[in-house]
Amino acid sequence: MSELRISSIETRGMPGKKRYAMVIDLRRCIGCDACMVACKAEFDVPLGVFRTWVPYKVVGKYPNVRKMFLPRLCNHCDDPPCVRACPVGATYKVEDGGFVLQRYERCIGCKACMASCPYNARFMLPKHRTYTDITRVVDKCTFCHHRVTQGLVPACVQTCVGRSRIFGDLSDPASEVSYLVSTLPTQVLRPEEGTKPHVFYIGADRNHTEIGRKIYDPQDVMELERSVFNRNI
Amino acid sequence: MGDYNVFHIMPWSGSYAIYFFVIGISAAMFFFSAMSWYRPEFKTLRMPAFYVSFVLLACGGLLLIGDLTQPLRFLNTMNPAYLNLSSPLAWGALNLVSFGLVSVAYFLTMRKNDEVMSRRLAVMGALLALGLPIYTGFDLTVHQNRPVWNTPLMPVLFVALSILSGAAVASFIAKAKEEKLVVMLRSLMLWSAGAVAAMLVSLLGTTAYGGSGSELTFMLMTSGSLGVIFVGLGILVGTATPIAMLLTPYGKQHTGIMTAGALLLVGGMALRYSILIGGQIVQTYF
Repeated sequence: MSELRISSIETRGMPGKKRYAMVIDLRRCIGCDACMVACKAEFDVPLGVFRTWVPYKVVGKYPNVRKMFLPRLCNHCDDPPCVRACPVGATYKVEDGGFVLQRYERCIGCKACMASCPYNARFMLPKHRTYTDITRVVDKCTFCHHRVTQGLVPACVQTCVGRSRIFGDLSDPASEVSYLVSTLPTQVLRPEEGTKPHVFYIGADRNHTEIGRKIYDPQDVMELERSVFNRNI
Repeated sequence: MGDYNVFHIMPWSGSYAIYFFVIGISAAMFFFSAMSWYRPEFKTLRMPAFYVSFVLLACGGLLLIGDLTQPLRFLNTMNPAYLNLSSPLAWGALNLVSFGLVSVAYFLTMRKNDEVMSRRLAVMGALLALGLPIYTGFDLTVHQNRPVWNTPLMPVLFVALSILSGAAVASFIAKAKEEKLVVMLRSLMLWSAGAVAAMLVSLLGTTAYGGSGSELTFMLMTSGSLGVIFVGLGILVGTATPIAMLLTPYGKQHTGIMTAGALLLVGGMALRYSILIGGQIVQTYF
């Protein structure tokens, strides 16, 4: 994968550097949302915002229909546009490991990183939180940096009942993620953006992961909910 | 995607469009004030244009700071240890502060009747003023995933919109008897509006043929939820009508120029708003 490296920030396939990645095997995801709950509990993620979330789409034709789940999170891109966009260096990439992290004390709340993220992985923390006093700054998934540096896997991976989420070092040829990515066809979201995402999907059908015409004519009830949600932010 | 998805918000709300609008006028008004040292027809605009520029700069700055969720941390953008120069926002913050400082110095030297220094500061301020619409355009254009924004046209379009809006405001300040100035403002309005119209054609073309996200954005901006604002107010009322009006005999009179100016201001605001919001709608569904 080192042949895809273009800019100096990219560390994929660089000798001596870890490059953590997540593989999500959609054939095994049952949509239980345990990953969302584990993540919420791990980080006291407030109501209405998510570090990881599981949208679904009903695909097929009756009687052969099924729900296609697509667990989402920050893609910890190798060339993250959010790092470029932040005017004060509040977002940075850890060279050894490839985590894209946030310095809360620097964030000015300009939302340039949110505008630059093709995956909607970033959100603004609300004014009031129950247990944590980090508020009104941008937040996102950290790949559970604090757990991984202690030799654990991220909370969502730990809790996944179907073992749909697999985490590891892509630079280590003996790791499970490395094995899966090198032996199975994998997909990433929006590869055309050149961000080099490090969340790989097995079994993602791009016919269903793309934006469709439905947006042009959204259901009224959905629009009502969207406007209510936006008011609460 | 999906039958179910969590709701994502638009990171940059309409208040950014107001900021783009006022800062564009502020830049152009400073430019006209600076021109007064080199072109005699602009002489009467020197002080009024500067005052308008300075007040709008203050309003724009406060609007921008007020829109941050951590307003007092705007000082972080001045901290060399924090500054990330790969971000156009960092350049913008430096440009904005330098422009403010040069504006204050320019005012003080004009009060002292120091012509040599005023001329120098006028040139310096005019260059920094030019940087304001350019950086606001770059703010949008660098986001590779955003339809409409991600085009090299943005900085140039914002410069043209700035001249157009500034000339429109200046036409209200200019008096009918100042014939040379009024003629100059009319031609500035006409040429910049023509440039905006040409760029809009290119923008619509590249958006309509730019892949699924861009195509949907084109649909939303022309016949969808932004249609009235973008096509109705931005293109028809705010660009095509004033161009046509300025080409008629009525458009050569001061009242005609002012009427066209009012329409151009409506159009300038509508275009900035619809471009800002248009680039974000599709993404909220992903």
